[in-house]
Amino acid sequence: MYPTAFHLVRYGFLNAVADFKATYTWRSWSFGWLGRMLAQVLFFTGLGRVLDQPGAVRYLALGNALMTCVVDTMAVVATTSGERRAGTLSLLVASPADLMWVFAGRSLHWPLSGFATASAALFGLGPLFGVTWSAAQVAPVLLLIALTALGTYCVGLFLAVLVLNAPRLRNVVSNCAYLAMMAFCGVQVPVEFWPRGVGAAVQAVPLTHTLRALRAVSDGRPAAEVFGPVGAAVLTAGCWLLAAGVTLRWLVAVPARRAGTLDLSY
Amino acid sequence: MSLFLAALRLQLRLAPRSPGTLQVWATAPLFTAVFLSIAEHAHRTDLASFSVVAPTLMGQWALTLGIAGEIIAEERNQGTLEAVIATPGRFSVVVVARILAVSLLGVTTMAEAWLVAGLGFGRWIDVPHPVVLAAALLANAAAMAGTASILSSLFVLMPSARIVQNTLTYPLYLLSGVLVPLSALPAWAGAVGRAVFLSWSADLLRAALDGPAVPRPVTRIAVVALLGLSGYLIGALLLSRVLRRVRRLGTLTHT
Amino acid sequence: MVSTEEYGTARRGASERPADPAAADAIVVEDVGRTFAVRRGRAAGEVTALSGVSLRVARGEVHGLLGPNGAGKTTLCRILTTTLEPTTGSARVLGLDVTRQSRAVRRSIGLVFGGDRGLYGRLSARENLWFWCAMYGLRRSALRARTELLLDRVGLLDRADARVDTFSRGMKQRLHLARGLVGDPRVLILDEPTMGMDPVAALDFRALVAELRAEGRTVLLTTHDMAEAAAVCDRVSLIDRGRLLMTEDTDAVGRLLSGYERVVAHGVSAGLARRVGALTGVVAVRHEADRLEAETERPSATARVLGVLAAAGVHQVSTARPDLAEVYLHLVGRRGMGVT
Repeated sequence: MYPTAFHLVRYGFLNAVADFKATYTWRSWSFGWLGRMLAQVLFFTGLGRVLDQPGAVRYLALGNALMTCVVDTMAVVATTSGERRAGTLSLLVASPADLMWVFAGRSLHWPLSGFATASAALFGLGPLFGVTWSAAQVAPVLLLIALTALGTYCVGLFLAVLVLNAPRLRNVVSNCAYLAMMAFCGVQVPVEFWPRGVGAAVQAVPLTHTLRALRAVSDGRPAAEVFGPVGAAVLTAGCWLLAAGVTLRWLVAVPARRAGTLDLSY
Repeated sequence: MSLFLAALRLQLRLAPRSPGTLQVWATAPLFTAVFLSIAEHAHRTDLASFSVVAPTLMGQWALTLGIAGEIIAEERNQGTLEAVIATPGRFSVVVVARILAVSLLGVTTMAEAWLVAGLGFGRWIDVPHPVVLAAALLANAAAMAGTASILSSLFVLMPSARIVQNTLTYPLYLLSGVLVPLSALPAWAGAVGRAVFLSWSADLLRAALDGPAVPRPVTRIAVVALLGLSGYLIGALLLSRVLRRVRRLGTLTHT
Repeated sequence: MVSTEEYGTARRGASERPADPAAADAIVVEDVGRTFAVRRGRAAGEVTALSGVSLRVARGEVHGLLGPNGAGKTTLCRILTTTLEPTTGSARVLGLDVTRQSRAVRRSIGLVFGGDRGLYGRLSARENLWFWCAMYGLRRSALRARTELLLDRVGLLDRADARVDTFSRGMKQRLHLARGLVGDPRVLILDEPTMGMDPVAALDFRALVAELRAEGRTVLLTTHDMAEAAAVCDRVSLIDRGRLLMTEDTDAVGRLLSGYERVVAHGVSAGLARRVGALTGVVAVRHEADRLEAETERPSATARVLGVLAAAGVHQVSTARPDLAEVYLHLVGRRGMGVT
């Protein structure tokens, strides 16, 4: 019997949870990681305070708070690449499991951690900068954070697959990816600020759409202005996941088996 | 001195090929774009110097922190730590020289940021005070190396130092006015930030890029250098503790 | 010890495999070659890791693949485990082609390699096995039952919840073996499984391989340790510089060198050594201080050597059959272990 996708994701996730527990304790996550991420939000939002532009602080606070879950989630690139360093990549390839689903489960702790981080940032730090929420807004905001985390996870999986054969680049790629999102997806300034080409390109990024939806929720705009971007976010996330699967199978695994870059013992 | 220069040269040869350096070079333009876009969008062209200074200091510090974290661990993993200790040279000199090489290399991110501002945003930033800028960059690189040398020993002595390393990025940038001057922070935070060399360097570098004359440049550079020197002294003290541990236990037990 | 019948679900799984039941040989390698592209400075070149290798391993056989580091053993293992495609030739495992039917092959094989890697160090032994069981399609109670059986089998039950990071080499290696068995494979590829093991652990390992054989599993074991190969293998193949030099029964390999026998004597003068060397059937003589080592190519020659020595009053004499090590050194040449 071959393992099913659900089964692989589930056990990949159990592996992820154990991994996470071994990395962080409750205290080290809260004070080490969360503290650092909140400081990042304050750092960028701080620039808003010297701008003397109405609404700037609020704009930056909202964008950078949601951005934290992107930073967290991008760790999927390093974790996936870690399979090679641990020597488990070739064992996974030699098993009957579909590698894409293993990877999809294996780093799920990052979007979860990202969800928690961004929630803390939006609900904890937000009010300090005029980002306040009514009780009715809490559920949609949480859903949008979750969608951002999972959508970014799909982008991250694609990048992870891309650097599977170039593990040295894992941190460069994940850092550049999230910084590019931070710069161009409407986190700091509206997408329209950038040249048309950039604006078109970032439509492929789920964050662009979830952020638009989040700002609509925050401003109390009509539901249509929320659901439209949500649909686009779901669609783009699906495309990234598909691209990751196709790339892994046909552009990474097959060439790697031909070229012999999947090592057994080291 | 020759030991210092030899270690510096060694690291300068090694560093450009390391993934950490590549990462800093790749991310500095993006950071610049982030900061500049915020300033430009608010029509605050006067903040362009912020957008060049912050990515420089952040890139430099990230590089410095990276090398400080791995320098002793690397020697230990290669099994060369004992050999290095057995030589007559002062190990702390080697450590600080290698870190300095990396922090000097990090100055290149300023050129990147300057080019991004010019090519990407059409803001060719003037350098009205080149001498102050050069002196401040040098003093800052040295202070970074001195301060980071504390961490290189700390990472070996403290088992959970990796988590500490996390808090030495954004919380530190925030507290030491890397992007926004300390005057924009609450008074208590500003007072803490003044004890960190980074706040002095950041102010100096921004002043050197802005038009008006830089007040008291020599004193301020001296403060950066002094804070860096005290970092080096603490680092050397900690390092001697690490080395004593190696001699006594034959190995470093903490990782 | 656990019999294969206890692995209930996997037996059901086995019946679904499209493996060819009529294939008499578990592993068939036909004329397999493998080259790797390399870059030296600007020049691009090719290294040949395997060249024209053919090998058959019968069902239930424990087959040793013996050779120095860099001989091509691991390359062959990678091809058989589907993580590397051959450049030329073909290989089948249980009748399944490793290139075209790789997924079905993966279902039928277990892979174990030596050293510290290949395990999730931050996970416990039990969590590692849960994960790998899931990778082989086991679920719920079957997954848990298999994990416990395997932990018991490799003697790790009492450390099952400890992080693998804290394990000794030997314990990690036992966990590796358990990991290789999660899919209840009919064919096991063990690549240098005792690398870095202490001698006691290595002996335990041999007992385990004997159990695997008793269960009817086919084992391909690579090693550069002759004693290990001699102790556990039915047949061995010698491989060097990508070429298969020979495949023989473990005993027959010994016979090959010495119909060949060796006589060792002490208290032998140089003159007497020369006389021994002149006898027909004596192929080599070494004489150092007063110690003589003479190699003969048939038993009659051995008898003659013994006769001459006895007549000369030499009484400290022994004869021996060469072990695999000597066969190995003869065939591969005295290049030393680990040197290529």
